[in-house]
Amino acid sequence: MTESYFDWTSHAFDHTLIFDKPEALRGVRVLEMTTLVLGPTTADFLGEFGAEVIKVELSPGGDTMRYVTPEATFWRNASLGFFPENHSKYHIGIDLHTEAGKDLFKQLAARSDILVENCRAGTFDRWGIGYRQLSEINPKLIYVADSGFGQWGPFSQGRASYDAVAQTVSGMIGITGFPDRPPILCGIFIGDWFGGLMAATAALVALHHRNKTGEGQFIDLAQSESLIRSLDWTWVHHGLTGKDREAVGNQDEALVPAGLFACRDGFVALAAPRDEEFRGFCTAIGDPDLARDPRFATLPARQEPAHAEVLLQRISSWAATKAVVEIEALGERHGFAAARVANAEDRYKDEHLRARAAVWEYEDPLYGPLVEQGPAPKMSATPGRIRWSAKPVGWHNMEILVRLLGLSPARIQELEAQGVVGKWADRPGPKPPDDSRPQ
Amino acid sequence: MSDPAVPWSEHAKALTDPSGASAKPEALSDLRVLDCSQGNFAALFCSSILAEFGAEVIRLEPPDGDVARLFSPRGILHRGTGLPYLVEGRNKRHITLNLGTAQGRDLFTRLARHMDVIIESAKPGEMDARGIGYRQLTEIHPRLIYVAFSTRGQFGPRASHPIPDYDITGQALSGVPYTTGEPGGEGPAESSVPTRQGNWIAWYAGGGWGAFAVMAASVWRWASGRGQFIDCAPPEGEMRLADYDVQWYHTSQRVRERVGALNICVFPYTLVKTKDSYSFIAGFSDINWKGLTNIIGHPDLGERYATTKDRIRNAKALHAELEKWAANFTSQEILEKVQDYMVHKRGPGTVATARLNRPVDTLQESHWWERGVFQRVEDPDYGELLLQAPPWKMSRTPPRIKWACRPVGADNEDVYLRYLGLGKERLRALEAEEVL
Repeated sequence: MTESYFDWTSHAFDHTLIFDKPEALRGVRVLEMTTLVLGPTTADFLGEFGAEVIKVELSPGGDTMRYVTPEATFWRNASLGFFPENHSKYHIGIDLHTEAGKDLFKQLAARSDILVENCRAGTFDRWGIGYRQLSEINPKLIYVADSGFGQWGPFSQGRASYDAVAQTVSGMIGITGFPDRPPILCGIFIGDWFGGLMAATAALVALHHRNKTGEGQFIDLAQSESLIRSLDWTWVHHGLTGKDREAVGNQDEALVPAGLFACRDGFVALAAPRDEEFRGFCTAIGDPDLARDPRFATLPARQEPAHAEVLLQRISSWAATKAVVEIEALGERHGFAAARVANAEDRYKDEHLRARAAVWEYEDPLYGPLVEQGPAPKMSATPGRIRWSAKPVGWHNMEILVRLLGLSPARIQELEAQGVVGKWADRPGPKPPDDSRPQ
Repeated sequence: MSDPAVPWSEHAKALTDPSGASAKPEALSDLRVLDCSQGNFAALFCSSILAEFGAEVIRLEPPDGDVARLFSPRGILHRGTGLPYLVEGRNKRHITLNLGTAQGRDLFTRLARHMDVIIESAKPGEMDARGIGYRQLTEIHPRLIYVAFSTRGQFGPRASHPIPDYDITGQALSGVPYTTGEPGGEGPAESSVPTRQGNWIAWYAGGGWGAFAVMAASVWRWASGRGQFIDCAPPEGEMRLADYDVQWYHTSQRVRERVGALNICVFPYTLVKTKDSYSFIAGFSDINWKGLTNIIGHPDLGERYATTKDRIRNAKALHAELEKWAANFTSQEILEKVQDYMVHKRGPGTVATARLNRPVDTLQESHWWERGVFQRVEDPDYGELLLQAPPWKMSRTPPRIKWACRPVGADNEDVYLRYLGLGKERLRALEAEEVL
């Protein structure tokens, strides 16, 4: 191995070669009929790694997320909230309340590998397009039902859910933030996004099983239950100690020291829980003796709440005199973890993230130059990718109805006239930019 | 053919009730995974997911155990192991091996030949320098899927200046804490700051992405016969979940800031103080706001603030209106009022509400227990443990917990005999040489 490791990785993962490599999920078709974030992300993550995603929306208004945009301000008639979970999809508008619409949907499901929906439990079954009906048509279908509380159980009936409902009922908000202060929401729609990641992972597990057996299956994914899974030691702690887990602010009770600290010019995350990291940290602050103090010399000693408190105060007063970049540099030099509390501008301008295509710049045929967060895991042989951005309601009607279902132009016109197939409403959210020429 | 007369909820329960899981096959029973990560709960959650779905997961620890076993609140150990590790030791066999010795590295390479997936969290380049990284292993085993967890990744301008991977730095870099918490000036200075999630969300997001990528790689391997290298950085894992923040900056040069319990896109999507606790309440589209203002007996507000723009511009005042109403009721009463409106369709709109749960409140709700979300696992080594179960209900290949954890090196004899034909005498000798 004559090539250095980092030269080798920079070739193995070179982002300029992404489109010259195959896609992991080539040939997998995903049909989604979802709204807001949980369902769309489930399909989007599969699409990033090569699945063909057909997004069905109720025309003309479309997905509710088309109206969720910061400060209720649209950009080129689009909701910014709609972009991050709707990449490279085919958008088709169908009225599923009509028999002809349901029939189209069934034809699409018959040609799909994975179906994703996030309606309230039982809605699709009542409409005659649920798992019971579709698995008759397509026994190999993997059907992902995303919801707040699951398809069965006391809370599954008549209770609406959003990301923040999941944050609220799971206990996540209860263990976050500062004691004796009003509760806060996570800055992002974490219940939706994390649930979508869990759902997409299960869909791939089911695909793996199907490769071996030919069998499809039904997946019931509740976003609240996904967040419950993510609450690390909360539950085992209650089981063994009988105590409830409290919110403790910005310090980690299990890793000492680890927390967020105010600096002269911003905030920094700092962690040095392993003893060798802690020794490096003490050297960095010019007090190597601190690492020999019996209260701090070992992780178990530092985890003692009284010791942790003294130590964290010491770190806080030190950090307050430093600049964020100074602490970051000391971490690199002395072997502990330090990183800025980054905002959107930091990420947008970060050369490292750009080189990793974690921040992804591309040119969309409808919206022009765009910058988004790129696929999260970097795969050497089958890298994820963004092809195009979210599109107006019904943008790909012809593409899907002709190419996939083989309908004639006359039949499509008939369906349009009957309102079974439709396009965008003439208002911001579902419609194209004003300067675009509709197809 | 299923009976359409059976209500959907009953049918769905019959399909997926996890209490019947043990009678069904496991999706990943054909995969073998070697997780040699150290002190990294992103990697541990990744291998937990694979183990829950039936992969044979072997945890490789240094002879004195993974430091992850010491990461525990207030240093609490249960039979020598910390609480977080007891959660993520599930269904995994546990062996020891000293990768600092030449013999240890040789045994590692020999074990790797039998594996489908290797998971590690070493400093980028360290496994490679030891001759046991992806570059070397793929030569002898091209089908191998290899996942490496690190904060800055395996490539890119800063990759060669790594920092240890922790949840807090992952959260910070993701951008999420910057947008979480009370705005400056709204409360005491020490708590009106960027705020971390209380749980290890960067590690859990990172681990979730790792498992997702392993499964995508497995699907591709099915078609191509080839493995690959997966570079998984937990900060980028959580960053991918960070809404539209980068898009907003790109289109408008605006940086998203903290808004406490509000949301900058919509109102209401917020927490309000009630007589006995707090409740989340949402009714943010125009029609749902109408529904909510009907429920609170203030339809005039529905008309006066008819658009999302009206509502977010006046979010603080409207939040105060909601709290004025909510102060008269317990969170349960609010839930009942909303349910009454919804179930009896007393007007337009969909309103969602939930009482703010302490974890102990969640544990008291029967819904989760009926759905098998929590389990009291009788573990042969660690006794009864209350654990959160895998979050998926699946009809054919349900995930499951078989056991909770194993002590350090508990499976050495079994694993080294099965894969490498090493008997007890040989293992004792390797132990004496500090290889195991």
